[in-house]
Amino acid sequence: MVLCIIAFFVFAVMSIFSAKYRPLAKEGFRCVFRTIMLKPCDTGMDERIKAEVVSKVLKISPTLARFTNKHFTMIAWAFVIISLGSMVYSGFGLYNFYFYGNCDGPEAVGACIINDLTGDYGRFSEPTDLIAPTNFDGIVAGNPEANITIVEFGCFTCPYTKKAESTMSELLEKYNDSIYYVFKPFPLPNHQNSYEAAVAVLCAERQGEHGKHFELQEEIFEQQEVCTSDGSLAIKQLAQDAGLDMNAFNQCYDNNETADQLDEYIQQGKDSHIYATPTFFINGKTIVGPRPIEEFEKIISEES
Amino acid sequence: MKDIRADFPMLKKYPKIIYFDNACTALKPQSVIDAVVGYYTEFGACGGRSSHQLARKTNNKLDESREKVAKFVNADPEGLVWTRNATESLNLVASSFDFSQKRKVVTTVMEHHSVLLPFMKLRDQGKIDLEILPCDEYGEVSMEKWSSAVDNECALIVTNSWNNTTGGENNISELSKLVHDNGGLICVDGAQGVPHHKTDLKGENIDFLCFSGHKMLGPTGIGALAMRKEDIPKLKPFIVGGGTVMKTSTEQAESATDQTRFEAGIQHYAGIIGFAAACDYLSDYGMENVEKLERTFANAIVSSIVNAGATVYGKHNRAGAVCSFNFKGGKPHDVALMLDKENIALRSGFFCAQPGLEAIGAASGAVRASAYIYNTLDEVKKFSEALEKVSILYG
Repeated sequence: MVLCIIAFFVFAVMSIFSAKYRPLAKEGFRCVFRTIMLKPCDTGMDERIKAEVVSKVLKISPTLARFTNKHFTMIAWAFVIISLGSMVYSGFGLYNFYFYGNCDGPEAVGACIINDLTGDYGRFSEPTDLIAPTNFDGIVAGNPEANITIVEFGCFTCPYTKKAESTMSELLEKYNDSIYYVFKPFPLPNHQNSYEAAVAVLCAERQGEHGKHFELQEEIFEQQEVCTSDGSLAIKQLAQDAGLDMNAFNQCYDNNETADQLDEYIQQGKDSHIYATPTFFINGKTIVGPRPIEEFEKIISEES
Repeated sequence: MKDIRADFPMLKKYPKIIYFDNACTALKPQSVIDAVVGYYTEFGACGGRSSHQLARKTNNKLDESREKVAKFVNADPEGLVWTRNATESLNLVASSFDFSQKRKVVTTVMEHHSVLLPFMKLRDQGKIDLEILPCDEYGEVSMEKWSSAVDNECALIVTNSWNNTTGGENNISELSKLVHDNGGLICVDGAQGVPHHKTDLKGENIDFLCFSGHKMLGPTGIGALAMRKEDIPKLKPFIVGGGTVMKTSTEQAESATDQTRFEAGIQHYAGIIGFAAACDYLSDYGMENVEKLERTFANAIVSSIVNAGATVYGKHNRAGAVCSFNFKGGKPHDVALMLDKENIALRSGFFCAQPGLEAIGAASGAVRASAYIYNTLDEVKKFSEALEKVSILYG
């Protein structure tokens, strides 16, 4: 019975692609169904699978085959549990992919892949396809005269961009005079309210008061989940908390006055074949995802 | 002996498979296949009904087939009834036998379900008194037990000539003498015996002999009940319909007095012709040669099983190459499937003889290897190697 459960799921999937697996899937279903109805499985499928497995193991190691034969039910249950776990994990991955644009979820180390299903930024690229931008406009920090320029394409509601934020802060603190940091907002369409968050930060930047837009940027990252779910309401509250001139902010934000600027950044990202955020170009060398600070420092030292 | 393997298309098609499931059904030689196909291409008409040239040709072939099959077991063709198989033949006897004078039937626990169930049904309906004799540890029933059970109240004894589980044989001549001396009759389940040794209905004084075509190289779906022609009217019609009556009106029907009274409807003509071809094949091969080969295979297979550390049921020295066995701790189906992975085709389970298997200590069933004339000692050697390999799992 145990193996029929696995067999049913496996053959059901395989039978989608090939008709020859359909009788096996039916057999597996019959066995599972009978088991659910508290009737003994009469297909003999378990025994056949067992014989198949044990005979293969027998060719490798008689001792292992004897163990497999003796404890087959236990091993089969282990496989069932692993398979079910795998299915749950796969389902979780699909959920993450749908909602976060990647399979690992918001807290995982990785990058926010541009979701081709919901996005309109084109197909996935390869790291080797990335082209360093030649335009250094954006939300900037550091020394404009520095030899090293770090350009980041990031999304304010991307958990990986958020994760990279602390690394960038640390680098700016450590290499303030040696690096020039350019953040280009690149809101991912599969991230809710990412565009609004980018507009908000650009509107804040317009107010020109030093640091206010950084403060808002940090708060948006900090309150990423709320911004994602509540959108403008939460973003405006954070703008107010950052001490921005709210009349000017609302004027800018509500009228989408930074649309051209933001569209330009997005176009630059497309031109650079961005496929995930955050993507960094350090004097043209690329890093995708919130990698450890050592990786950035290695490039910085090479370029110094 | 001539090499006959080339006669069997299945052996050519699957050269790696060692077919040791002959007690279940035998493979078919090309001559039998040709005979079956020949009916549809050469004859194709009804038998015993129409009078056109194709029907006459069919009739002649069917008469010839009846003669051949009857001759094979030394019976009169007029006493041979076509059935679907041995099971139907046994059911025919059980249903048609007149138990009004005597109602005692004696059989053994070692019989096939096809023997036990029809008579158990009659017992449960209150029509007979059924005595089922126990067996010893080898699955054998001694003459003493038979003698004490068979008395002048006994109407019928029913038993196999060869056992389908242990390969043991019953002394049918002695049993028929015993029951005849007491005024009863004997019905022999020859499903295993007829294919594997010379069966002589007249010489062994068998009253009813039931056997199947498919276990003796013939087609499936055809069997026979052989008896003395004078006993035919003593049995009530079994299945009635077209061909079973002399004449009929809406008020009454007058049954045929020959064997056609049991052959209702159009018969399995292709099977009948194929059955006769199988008898021809075995006769050409020589049943004495079959018997010798059986003993050789039986000894070799039993030795292989014993050497692999498995338990063999029945006496080691046996007539039939039918050997049931078990590995300690191994489920029969698992063992059979493991051997299937080694290209050994054999049967596992109860072989439709559950009470018998329980009686000899195989209550959970067994694995059965059974050889026939196209098997070879080289195959037995490979079977032995496969058994050794599989035995590792149960050591």
